[in-house]
Amino acid sequence: MRVNRRWLARAGATIFALVLLYPFTALFANIGPWQWGQDVRGPALSSVRVSLLLTGCAMGVIVAMGTPVAAYIARCQTGERLLWQAVLLIPILLPPLALGILLTLAFGPYGAVGECLEHFGIVMTNSAPAFVCTQVYVGMGYYVLGAVAAFDAVPVMLQKQAALLGLAPWKVFLRVTLPLSRLGLAVALSIAWVRAIGEFGAVVVTAYYPSGMPVQLWVNLQSFGLPAVMPLLVVFLAVALPLPWLVHVLAQRHRHA
Amino acid sequence: MLKAQIIKKRREFHVNVSLDLVRGTSLGLFGASGAGKSTVLACIAGIEEPDDGYVKLGDLQFFPPSRPLHKRPIGYLTQEPGLFPHLRVSENVSFGVPKERTTNIEKSRWIETLRDRLQLGPLWHAPASLISGGQARRVSLARMLARRPALVLLDEPFAGLDRQLVRELIDDLIFWSRTLGFSMIAVDHQAEVLKRLCPEQAIALEEGEIVQRGRWDELDAAPATALLRSLLNPL
Repeated sequence: MRVNRRWLARAGATIFALVLLYPFTALFANIGPWQWGQDVRGPALSSVRVSLLLTGCAMGVIVAMGTPVAAYIARCQTGERLLWQAVLLIPILLPPLALGILLTLAFGPYGAVGECLEHFGIVMTNSAPAFVCTQVYVGMGYYVLGAVAAFDAVPVMLQKQAALLGLAPWKVFLRVTLPLSRLGLAVALSIAWVRAIGEFGAVVVTAYYPSGMPVQLWVNLQSFGLPAVMPLLVVFLAVALPLPWLVHVLAQRHRHA
Repeated sequence: MLKAQIIKKRREFHVNVSLDLVRGTSLGLFGASGAGKSTVLACIAGIEEPDDGYVKLGDLQFFPPSRPLHKRPIGYLTQEPGLFPHLRVSENVSFGVPKERTTNIEKSRWIETLRDRLQLGPLWHAPASLISGGQARRVSLARMLARRPALVLLDEPFAGLDRQLVRELIDDLIFWSRTLGFSMIAVDHQAEVLKRLCPEQAIALEEGEIVQRGRWDELDAAPATALLRSLLNPL
């Protein structure tokens, strides 16, 4: 009986997965031969480099800034915590195009911050820093909210026990909180990565150049049509998926009972 | 050695308990469930903060102001062993041993002594998440002792264990309290556990107030309240 139920659940999950992946059958649609000539391949591979490198940088910034913030929020009382969570939700809720426009106005050459940054040679439109900055804004909320949930799942009493065993708060964080929240942090990071690397609406406004993969998909669609989009789409899946998936694999392997 | 007055508002009543414990002695805090015993221990440990009063261990002022948990030289055992599930038993035991104060050889010897005395050898390399509840209490005791605490607080650490294991753990605690010279305050609602663990003195609590303090034979002979008499009576 138990085996049957298990197979029933597995069949249900399989149907769910098939429905979820159904749109990808369009990759086999009859749109004519795919284009992967030099004029498509060159910019496409360049966009892969841009996306991987700059999204990686953005993730570094997100983890470095977001982890301590999430640790702080996880310790806040309900009222203060709701306030911070509202702050984090704002950039997530905003339509990406609107976020891109706001970022351009705030960090572009006409804003005070943009002007100041330009003074130091940092151009915040159509540049690598603009690309990274946009992705940080796009992914930060997802990561921090996920990280707060991950830290919440660590029993407070274990952290207090560690402190009573003589560990200073930062050591408790490194030796108890962080290892026990690893899986949740990995999920949070992978969601931020997926969200950021696939971002189009905000990036197309702030950093049309250097073109990342989503912008390049748009360019290919405009310039060459669907046959030039499909190969880049496959490349996109091939390069964007492994990293978050690997994070899940590693987190699961080191998961405690 | 420990001087404390704990004043803590609870929903139903106020806890108001004063304690004075000499180094190397033990004290049993006795009373019905919900009498405020655990609150007193939690306030001494720093898990909760008293609303008023003071807590002083030797020259160290625990409260007020509230001393950070990691600067309190105490051991705190509760019903939940609280082992770190991502670590092995050996890593749990040596978790709190200060690295700077001991050489590696001294530390290894001390940890090995605890391992052997508490019969943890067979579990030594097992993940802490995979051992039984009884074994986890033993590991938890070793982890606490490894730090050589000056004061040990025991909040019903034997709940749910079989009598044989309770006897062994109590004997272990008495042995180590004599060896290391720490004081103990134990909380339980079972008098027989406390009488064995803290034979010298007892404090009986009811609704946050001390209703009687003295030796166990004094409490047995003339319990101050009807509830205390009932609690002291064997089943």
